[in-house]
Amino acid sequence: MDKNMKILVVDDFSTMRRIVKNLLRELGFTNLDEADDGQTAWPKLKAGGYDFLVTDWNMPGMTGIELLKMVRANPDTANMPVLMVTAEQKREQIIEAAQAGVNGYVIKPFTAGTLKEKIDKIFARSAG
Amino acid sequence: MQDEGDRLELLAKAKQLVESIEAKDDASTGELLSAMSLDREQNLFKEVGHLTRQLHDNLSSFALDEQLIGLTGKEIPDAKERLNYVIEMTDDAAHKTLNAIDEILPVTIEMQRKSEELSKNWSRFLSRDLSLEEFKEMSGEISKFLDSSCVNTKIVSDKTNEIVLAQGYQDLTGQIIKKVIALVQNVEESLVDLIRIAGSHEEAASTKKEEEKGVLEGPAVPGIVIDGAVNSQDEVDDLLSSLGF
Repeated sequence: MDKNMKILVVDDFSTMRRIVKNLLRELGFTNLDEADDGQTAWPKLKAGGYDFLVTDWNMPGMTGIELLKMVRANPDTANMPVLMVTAEQKREQIIEAAQAGVNGYVIKPFTAGTLKEKIDKIFARSAG
Repeated sequence: MQDEGDRLELLAKAKQLVESIEAKDDASTGELLSAMSLDREQNLFKEVGHLTRQLHDNLSSFALDEQLIGLTGKEIPDAKERLNYVIEMTDDAAHKTLNAIDEILPVTIEMQRKSEELSKNWSRFLSRDLSLEEFKEMSGEISKFLDSSCVNTKIVSDKTNEIVLAQGYQDLTGQIIKKVIALVQNVEESLVDLIRIAGSHEEAASTKKEEEKGVLEGPAVPGIVIDGAVNSQDEVDDLLSSLGF
């Protein structure tokens, strides 16, 4: 796993963005950027340079699931790994995210261990 | 119900009727009688229309009562559960944070004390004030200090991460409180509609709520059952692996 990869963290709560960024930094990732919803995230992703997207689901403007669908629909971003970190935990939503092509799904509140495990799994799979 | 105009019209027709009977004009009498019974029927229709309208209004206000029953019977108790959970989460986060600090502080204080002591001896060593015995003792102390530093800095960074994670309450309680605010607005609107209906017979503004489809449930709250929700990260993992993940 390339620790220099550029990661975009998207959440409407600034505290959660800080927490996720902090944990990612703890895991050795230093190239981190953030956005407060899908609408501000999408232009950044479209402009390119990002290797990994960590997004919340429930956000004003554009939700995480809409953002995921846009990422998958655009040829430039279609293969980007996406981890959803959200409080939404209905089965139908998890299935919807899976069908939209999410690579990992973490429910809040989460532990540092869970986040690490899911990221490891995503990149172990994409490497293999 | 007849108003003054209807009454005058009826009186005029009745006078005409009397005149035509007195004049023994049977054809005209027949015409006037059937015209008057037609009026009677129309009045009856008006009355039925009026009653129908009243019934409709009553039914609308009944539907609104149903909505209020839903709010008071389920959503407000749910909101209480949600707010209690907010208290619980903030309490939990505050304790986690304070507990972590309780563990960090003694470690950092001890490290500070020890490094000050070593620093003094180190200065004496640099200015050749230290005897060989003292130097040997200091070397041992430095070794111990370096070992304990490795352990202590690990404690500090682990506990700091616990503090960071504990701040997740802000996002989760924020989402819950936003839901309760939406409920309070909903109750307010329903009450305003109820007052409007009680105050006049004007048709109540449409209180139909938007279709609930697509509404996100947000954080899980103990005591509130959400149909089709998973209860843990393990269940999420199981579900995803059943989908081939």
